Amino acid sequence: MITKKNRLIVVVFFKNGNVVQSKLFKQHKVVGDPYVIIDRLSAWNADEVIYLNIRPELSNLNRQDKKIKYQNDFDKIIEFVGKKAFMPLTVGGGIKSLHDVEKYFEMGADKISINSEITNNPKLIIESSKIYGSQSIVASIDIKMDDDNQYSAYINNGKTKIISQLSDYIKQIEDLGAGELLINNIDRDGMGNGYDLDLLKLIQKVSKLPIIFAGGVGNFNHFLQGIENNLNSVAAGNIFHYTENSYYEAIKFLHEQNCNTRPPVINFY
Amino acid sequence: MKLYCQRCVYPVHAVNLDLDDEGVCSSCRTFEEIVNLDDKYWLKRKEKLIQILEDYKKITDGDYDCIIPVGGGKDSYFQAHYIKSLGFKPLLVTYYGNNYLPEGETNLQNMSKKLNCDHYIFKPSEEVLIKLNKAAFYMMGDMNWHNHAGIRIIPVKSALQFKVPLFMFGEVSWDISGMFSINDYSEFNKRTVLEHDMRGFLKEDFLNKEYLSKTDVDWYSLPDDKVYFDNKLKGIYLGNFIKWDTYKQTNLMKQLYNWQESKEPFERTYRRISNLDDMHENGTHDYLKYIKFGYGRCSDHASKDIRMNYMTRDEGIKMVKKYDHVKPKKDLNRWLEYVNMTENEFDKVADTFRSENVWSKDKNGNWKKDNIWDN
Repeated sequence: MITKKNRLIVVVFFKNGNVVQSKLFKQHKVVGDPYVIIDRLSAWNADEVIYLNIRPELSNLNRQDKKIKYQNDFDKIIEFVGKKAFMPLTVGGGIKSLHDVEKYFEMGADKISINSEITNNPKLIIESSKIYGSQSIVASIDIKMDDDNQYSAYINNGKTKIISQLSDYIKQIEDLGAGELLINNIDRDGMGNGYDLDLLKLIQKVSKLPIIFAGGVGNFNHFLQGIENNLNSVAAGNIFHYTENSYYEAIKFLHEQNCNTRPPVINFY
Repeated sequence: MKLYCQRCVYPVHAVNLDLDDEGVCSSCRTFEEIVNLDDKYWLKRKEKLIQILEDYKKITDGDYDCIIPVGGGKDSYFQAHYIKSLGFKPLLVTYYGNNYLPEGETNLQNMSKKLNCDHYIFKPSEEVLIKLNKAAFYMMGDMNWHNHAGIRIIPVKSALQFKVPLFMFGEVSWDISGMFSINDYSEFNKRTVLEHDMRGFLKEDFLNKEYLSKTDVDWYSLPDDKVYFDNKLKGIYLGNFIKWDTYKQTNLMKQLYNWQESKEPFERTYRRISNLDDMHENGTHDYLKYIKFGYGRCSDHASKDIRMNYMTRDEGIKMVKKYDHVKPKKDLNRWLEYVNMTENEFDKVADTFRSENVWSKDKNGNWKKDNIWDN
């Protein structure tokens, strides 16, 4: 039997053109600029990187004193990253039209992640997955547990609640033609207390689509817990920013735990 | 959009700062996470630190338990003092950038005696330093690139040279903008150094600038990832393990070791206890920060002091109004003489780094920006 590879995916959050770490979708701490990180992730042979613009409505900081001058819009950053990235690149945040989708593919994105437009403009998913193939359209779903202990999906950076039941929402997304789900858990975002495995099981029950799961990773063991629960693609954002050779250390750990990851590679850089 | 943090005096365009939807900055938020932690919590952190030191003591072949990078400042003294008080033997390591204030120089030279520690001082060629000052000013509007790079690189090189894999900085990297939470246990890493301290510039970028040769700048690079990994190098921040209280610590260092603050006031800030290891840090270097982003060291100091309840926000704003815009004549003249440059040339180059988000010109052609006291 062929078993699917386990992929370790890095989510890079952007706000004002800076890379940030995120907590509960509310608090953000700037960790760096958009450019050096892609070199570091390339040096560690990261399996996949997801670049998300979490506040597309805000303008970017303008800096003239860095080697690579800060660009005043997300597109210029993606153009640069698209050229630099050695690994599959997914781009999301503020994607509103087929024109946006086409633009990022042309810049080197391999997949496009769509969140708010699932509700605002479902035709976008239908059309883009027809044109580019379902496998290249990722439906991003931010999920939060309500006061009555029910999970709900949110759009608009976790600000607007989707009325329909989560399971119905996911089925609707499947019908629209998206090929993969990117699940982020708002309650676990930046908390470091591990994946919400109940939520994972619920989604696995509802959908047959491949799942990228994020939210809550505070140590490398949390990735392992995801994989042990039949999750192929484990993802996180913040944890890769804290220590030296973080991605390498993480994938080395998983490999040593007999997960079906690629072998860890450390480069001279 | 709010332009200033509602609690401290930071502007939204401050470097690496984030203002949240409530108008509170990431630095204040990070402080908020720490301020109410009790003694029991910090005791656990202390135990964690001792554990790390013990673990590394076992694997090190060198003669020391850890390396402490020091500039001779209040924090350097405290770090060395604290690690010694836990019963460990540190090696003090200094990158000497050649611009010490007299008090800073005395403090630095006294460390080995007062703290009874071995002290390794790396002093680059003065000619190379002057060239680097000048080249970096033209390249990134900051003469102190060599310093930012040096204080990160020399400890790592020393760790390899002396076979002491653990090195320990003081306050958490970029604590000033609230970059990391205490629970992140952030450690020294190449990404942070390349992005922030070195602004993405590598030694190669300096070749042939101001006649700098390859051999002049050869040591300004961090080891490969593999070397870092194979040698089990680990750089931690003491600030993740103890409750950091600048004034309390400084007073203790004055009492115990006769640590000296600056006798002369600075031109651009009211604090006299910070940045004595490089006179331009609070002077010309900081004036360039104001030129670029519209705020200076006084905003940094006031924001910290407001958080620590050493002043009110209104008092902080008064300080910012008094200091942030000041062109530090005395300090600037020293630097211009040091690198042989005219003030006209300095101003012309500095202006090219102004952020469009902050600065615009009025109808008379003078630079203008928004100010916190008008808000």
